[in-house]
Amino acid sequence: MEATVFYILAAILLIGTLCAITARQAVRAIVYLVVSFFALALMFYLLGAPLIAAFEVIIYAGAIMVLFLFVIMMLELESPEKLPKPRFSDWWPALALVVVVVGALAVLLLSHVRAVPPGFTDIPVRQFAYTLFKQYGVAVEIVSMQLLFALVGALYLGRRK
Amino acid sequence: MMPATYLTLMLLFPLLGGLTCAIAGRKLPRVLVESLACGAVFGSFVCALLTALSYTAPTVVTLAEWFASFDLVIPISLYLDPLSLSLSVMIGFVCGLIHLYSVFYMREDEDYARYFALLNIFVFAMLTLVLAESLPLLYLGWEGVGFCSYLLIGFWYRDTNNADAGRKAFITTRIGDTAFMIALAWLFQLFGTLSVTKLNGMGFLMPVSVLTALGILFLIAAMGKSAQVPLMVWLPDAMAGPTPVSAMIHAATMVTAGVYLLARMYPMISASQTALAAIAVTGAVTAFYGATCALAQRDLKRVLAYSTISQIGYMMLGVGAEAVTAATFHLLVHAFFKALLFLGAGCIIAAMHHEQDIFKMGGLRRTLPLTFWSFLAGAACLAGLPFTGGFFSKDSILMAVWHKGGALYQSLYLLGLLTALITAFYSFRLVFLVFGGGNGHVHRTTGLGVMQAVLIPLAILGLFGGVLNLPGYMGEGLLTRLFVAIPGGGAVEATHEQEIVMQAVAGALALAGLAAAWLRYGKGRAHRMQEAQSPPSPLISFLANGWYFDALYNVLFIRPYRALAGILWERMDKGVIDDSLDGLGKGIGSVGQRLGRWSTGRVAVYLISFAAGGALILCYLAWLVL
Amino acid sequence: MSVPLSHILIVASLMFAMGLGCVIAWRANVIMMLIGIEIMLNAVMLTFVGGSAHWGIADGQLFSLMLMALTSAEVSLALAMVVYLHRRKQTVNTDRFDSMKG
Repeated sequence: MEATVFYILAAILLIGTLCAITARQAVRAIVYLVVSFFALALMFYLLGAPLIAAFEVIIYAGAIMVLFLFVIMMLELESPEKLPKPRFSDWWPALALVVVVVGALAVLLLSHVRAVPPGFTDIPVRQFAYTLFKQYGVAVEIVSMQLLFALVGALYLGRRK
Repeated sequence: MMPATYLTLMLLFPLLGGLTCAIAGRKLPRVLVESLACGAVFGSFVCALLTALSYTAPTVVTLAEWFASFDLVIPISLYLDPLSLSLSVMIGFVCGLIHLYSVFYMREDEDYARYFALLNIFVFAMLTLVLAESLPLLYLGWEGVGFCSYLLIGFWYRDTNNADAGRKAFITTRIGDTAFMIALAWLFQLFGTLSVTKLNGMGFLMPVSVLTALGILFLIAAMGKSAQVPLMVWLPDAMAGPTPVSAMIHAATMVTAGVYLLARMYPMISASQTALAAIAVTGAVTAFYGATCALAQRDLKRVLAYSTISQIGYMMLGVGAEAVTAATFHLLVHAFFKALLFLGAGCIIAAMHHEQDIFKMGGLRRTLPLTFWSFLAGAACLAGLPFTGGFFSKDSILMAVWHKGGALYQSLYLLGLLTALITAFYSFRLVFLVFGGGNGHVHRTTGLGVMQAVLIPLAILGLFGGVLNLPGYMGEGLLTRLFVAIPGGGAVEATHEQEIVMQAVAGALALAGLAAAWLRYGKGRAHRMQEAQSPPSPLISFLANGWYFDALYNVLFIRPYRALAGILWERMDKGVIDDSLDGLGKGIGSVGQRLGRWSTGRVAVYLISFAAGGALILCYLAWLVL
Repeated sequence: MSVPLSHILIVASLMFAMGLGCVIAWRANVIMMLIGIEIMLNAVMLTFVGGSAHWGIADGQLFSLMLMALTSAEVSLALAMVVYLHRRKQTVNTDRFDSMKG
């Protein structure tokens, strides 16, 4: 049952992403992406990471994507039809690279299939929190500082002269 | 303790004098520089005299450790024995007089500081060469002498000819130096030491063939330095330097170094009869060559230069005939009378306003009487007129050659006698042409007084130099007694009758040469003067050009070398190396430009490159798995 | 749940490849390029979380969290940069910003 849900979510995720990258307008791409991120969040939940799932929805689908929307609106870009679209000549190196990467990864993955019993263990939030604040306390501090720097930098870049 | 102090001072005086002149000479007043240079050499001479007075037995004095790495141990050690002692006394004396003479000869030259610095260092290098106990130290002095002679021959370097003469001397002697270096390396490989005393004591350990080869190598070294056939071409050109320098090169320093080296290594070389024969043949041939060339020269100094080549040849002949004492005897006497002749020539040239063609001189007998009498004494010594110093020394060499016996040495003896005849002839040709006749004009007389006064002690020593080593029938020789301790130094065991007969023959030949010269250039002077106006006969120009050895070497070595250098330069250096490097540079440049087009500044291109690189790595991993 | 780890990884790698393609293809629009980067980062997060669940260790999830924090910082800066650049050249076409030309 859960496996079925997983595969459905995977399909939504991949299709949503595909639509996002081929969308003609940035706003539409954002909306497609929000859909696929929701699917991703559910997958996280299925993989026993409810906290990450929540953060995915809140930070990614919520904050970051909305930030993108804000910026798109702020820029007051001309009508979307005038924006240069990727031509075929732009796509084919991308496609070639994608094929190469996917092929290589497929080879690597399939060659490493082991008889591991397919089973996932849930990680309780308590364990997650312990690991985060006890083992990786310094990392948390550093990340918080980095966020501060990003804040200052964004303010500096965005100020009007 | 005393010898060490004297020896050190003997070396230090000229070194410090030379360094002071070199460093501060331009700032110091002229008188101070001159007196410093002269004082240094005379101080050195006094030290040599004191050493001689306190001399008892051969001593090795180690002053310091030069370097000692692995097996190679080279101390700065000096060796005092009759050979080095007599030479250093002579060097101190003759060079002192030449320094004094130079003060007046170079009176008008602005570059006095450089001149006296080089002169002092020249003396220092020669003393180092003579006194050195370890061969590398000797080699250092050897090269120092060569270096100083190069700089002094090209002293007036603004004239290209002078600079070329200096270079010619340096390069030619370097050929010999190379042989010396090879001999040094080989000796070290064979014996593991480079100490002269030890090597001379160990020579017999080696097979004769090896010793022959070593002897030949030393002979080549001596050929270069002492201007022996076939490396003699530099000496006539070395006249380009100031005349006192020529006197020094010919008399005291430089050219005698080769003979000294052979005499020094004699105990080792003497084990090989082949090497000795080679030395003797070289000496005799050179003596003959020099004498014949001197016959036809017109330049006063070139006559003397060829006579030096000839006389050094006699010394080599003496060493080759196992008569080191006689060779040294001749070396000392030759130093006196050759310095005398050159300094006299300097007086003449100065008085004639730098005219050196002997066919344009004449009548100086009356205008320069002091020079005339001293020069006459020198010429008598050179010619070997009976009872002069040159007579005894040359005769002792010829006697040793005769006494050695064998067809080779007897023919060399005859060659030596013939050379003696020619020598007498050309010596007096010079005297008659320069001083004879009646049309003497003297142009310059300032400073000539002292310059002429310097000639007097040299003339006395030259004339009575025979006292140093009188033949057996006149009492035992001083040098023989001194040298009897060293190998090859003993007197030649000839009966007194033999000696007297031989000396009579030699004396008669010298007188015959004198008579012939008188007939041709004394009586027939005017006729010869007229003849000199017309172009010379082929024989004369053959002799005057030194048997065309310069032209021969030009064809044999210099032209092929130039052609080779041209090919190497234009084909190899420019064609192959430069072009290939240029091509490489251009290739890399164009590759760089093509690669540079890649950095378009567009993020997209960079991203694609980056992703392609990542994809490549993935492909590699996948390929590893497959 | 009984999904093999390799399936999760395949989904993640497909998503990553799509993000890469987006970044490379959309050179005319810097915002779409940033979206491509977000897609790739999310694929990486999926890998982390899948690994974490597979081995039962919290570190993978933790790195996902860190990644989110870093991404938000990166996105805020990048978007500020986009605003700034657009203000200078009135365009979001990356080919127009080629002052890094060598």
